[in-house]
Amino acid sequence: MLKGAEIVLQCLRAEGVDLVFGYPGGAIMPLYDALEGSGVRHILTRHEQGAVFAAEGYARVTGKPGVAIATSGPGATNLVTGIADAKMDSVPLVCITGQVRSALIGSDAFQETDVFGMTLSLTKWSRLVRTIDEIPEAIAEGFYWARSGRPGPVVIDIPTDMLKAKKEFSEPVKFVPQPRIEQAAKNSANGHSGNSHSANGNGNGAGRGGTFDAVVTMLQKAQRPVALVGAGAKLSGAVTELRRLLDDLNIPSFATVHGLGAIPPQASHYLGMVGMHGTRAANMALHETDLLLVLGARLDDRVTGDPSRFAPFAKIVHFEIDPAQLDRVRACEIPVLGDLAETIPAFHTALGQSPTSRKDGEKCDWSEWRALACGAERAELDPRGLAQPTIRFLDELFSRLPQDSVVIADVGQHQMWAAQRYRSSSPRGFITSGGLGAMGFALPAAVGVQLAKPQTCVLCVSGDGGFQMNIQELATVHRLGLPVKMVIVDNKYLGMVRQWQQLFYQRNYAETDLSDNPDFVEIAKAYKIPARRLNEDAMREFPVSQGTGDLIDGFLHSRGPELLVFDCAPEANVFPMVPAGASLSEMVFEEE
Amino acid sequence: MQAFYIRYRNTQGTLMRILNAVSRRALDMPSVRAEEAEGDHQVILLLEVTPKQAAQLEREWFSIVDVLQVSTVHAGLPAAWTLPHPPASVAGNTEEGLAARA
Repeated sequence: MLKGAEIVLQCLRAEGVDLVFGYPGGAIMPLYDALEGSGVRHILTRHEQGAVFAAEGYARVTGKPGVAIATSGPGATNLVTGIADAKMDSVPLVCITGQVRSALIGSDAFQETDVFGMTLSLTKWSRLVRTIDEIPEAIAEGFYWARSGRPGPVVIDIPTDMLKAKKEFSEPVKFVPQPRIEQAAKNSANGHSGNSHSANGNGNGAGRGGTFDAVVTMLQKAQRPVALVGAGAKLSGAVTELRRLLDDLNIPSFATVHGLGAIPPQASHYLGMVGMHGTRAANMALHETDLLLVLGARLDDRVTGDPSRFAPFAKIVHFEIDPAQLDRVRACEIPVLGDLAETIPAFHTALGQSPTSRKDGEKCDWSEWRALACGAERAELDPRGLAQPTIRFLDELFSRLPQDSVVIADVGQHQMWAAQRYRSSSPRGFITSGGLGAMGFALPAAVGVQLAKPQTCVLCVSGDGGFQMNIQELATVHRLGLPVKMVIVDNKYLGMVRQWQQLFYQRNYAETDLSDNPDFVEIAKAYKIPARRLNEDAMREFPVSQGTGDLIDGFLHSRGPELLVFDCAPEANVFPMVPAGASLSEMVFEEE
Repeated sequence: MQAFYIRYRNTQGTLMRILNAVSRRALDMPSVRAEEAEGDHQVILLLEVTPKQAAQLEREWFSIVDVLQVSTVHAGLPAAWTLPHPPASVAGNTEEGLAARA
């Protein structure tokens, strides 16, 4: 006989889980009681949001589901931001929450919240366990859905009496989806199928055979074809195939913030990041193209700008795994629904078999765009010069990082500067909260990344606002001795909001002033973490002085955790910028 | 007004996810009928939607785990989601444009 809590842990082990992140509390106590000797290592964060972001960091860098555990009520509600983040960014995440005992459910009991109900629209799948017998199946099914198709978050809510109850238990179960669901998924992958999506419907084979021939024909006719790469290629493990395809196509390519690293920055066809703070070359190429291949990107508004003026001259071929993302923002001419790990090689094969396949880019005069991309140096990013020291600082940091380092950016100006300057070809090397834009993400996510990759240099770049949202995780870093390198780009403002206030609200800096920030160096020291400060003046000379270079090297290569506070100009802005509601062709490069 | 038929496995939360897809768009639901249907379950929704909303809904519903089939009442006609939307020619400041960009 095993307790429900012991069964949960055995099932987690069966799913390959050896690391979970969480925070204990009343309803989940039986699970914590069973942890010792279970083979599952628990990482105590200092807030449930820290736990869920750490689990996300683990999942984003490994591709394996991250697991977050919390108690009922406030423990569960504190997970919600992370669950929403995982939904937006397609992160496999399994959240296990304790619930009040079954007899009290619905009675507004102490620490009772309807976490199942409140996360319905944020989760891919969820289950409120009703009997101890359901536990193995719930765990197995939860992991199945978290991993399958477009990955996402699931919630398994377990009443505390189910965790305490005992039953005979032999071994975890394996979830096998019912055949009709599998069939539905296949039909879904086949795309448009008439006037109904059906488990028994007839897909017309979009993404297969004849459809690829049509794409090849479109490609041959196009004068200005381009490729936009999102996170899908990484999530599906299709980066190698993607790079082969793009090299053969030899058409201009660019990446969303989550696509960074999928295309090697040194590739001759690569024009940089696209979108609100993308490069001029990438945005102009996207605006002027007549054929857009979208490869694993969902085309959110930060990428498209005004959707009615997005790629206005283009036909669109959209490679996507989630049918809900097709035509959501802009209609596509050809949907290619399915896993990029299958559709890219299949398309590449069709391309190669075409008698007049396009391999030399002969019709595509994109040399001007490429020149623009190459010219997208600091001057373009910041004509006034206020951001130059910060941009140079990030360049110095990134250029000194060991290979295969992982950069985790929080949310705000520093995030966009980091994305603009990131130059690695490591597919999972740049991690950030892109879709939800959740401040406070980076530090706990870095904890998860470092635990997943103990030998890897993990660089966490935050702003002074975001860092304070989960600053308590310094305690987690210290307790575990994680050698995370933490940078705070401190402009003493909520910088991105302030930038918008400057540009669009007549400099009315309402409630964005953080000039009374605490001394982050002293705070770090209180957590027994070494810290130092670097003023932006050190970055005004180029190349940087030996002393500054040594300081950065010392920071990056120290053995334990360390914090570096970089003081930057309060009114530095991120450029280029596509104002909200504007077209990608309407980038601004400085405040007017 | 358009009728939508959604067939689904009656697992925890599936019906609510179907309805959430409607409510998150602040659409009224003048008629909702959920019932058992040939071993599965079916919900019939009557909604006032734009072609773009119809298309988004149909795709979103079909992305829900345990939804098996999504169809409209207009059998034989092209599904709304096969129509282009928002049309590239739609101006952003017109009523049609605003609807398309909703």
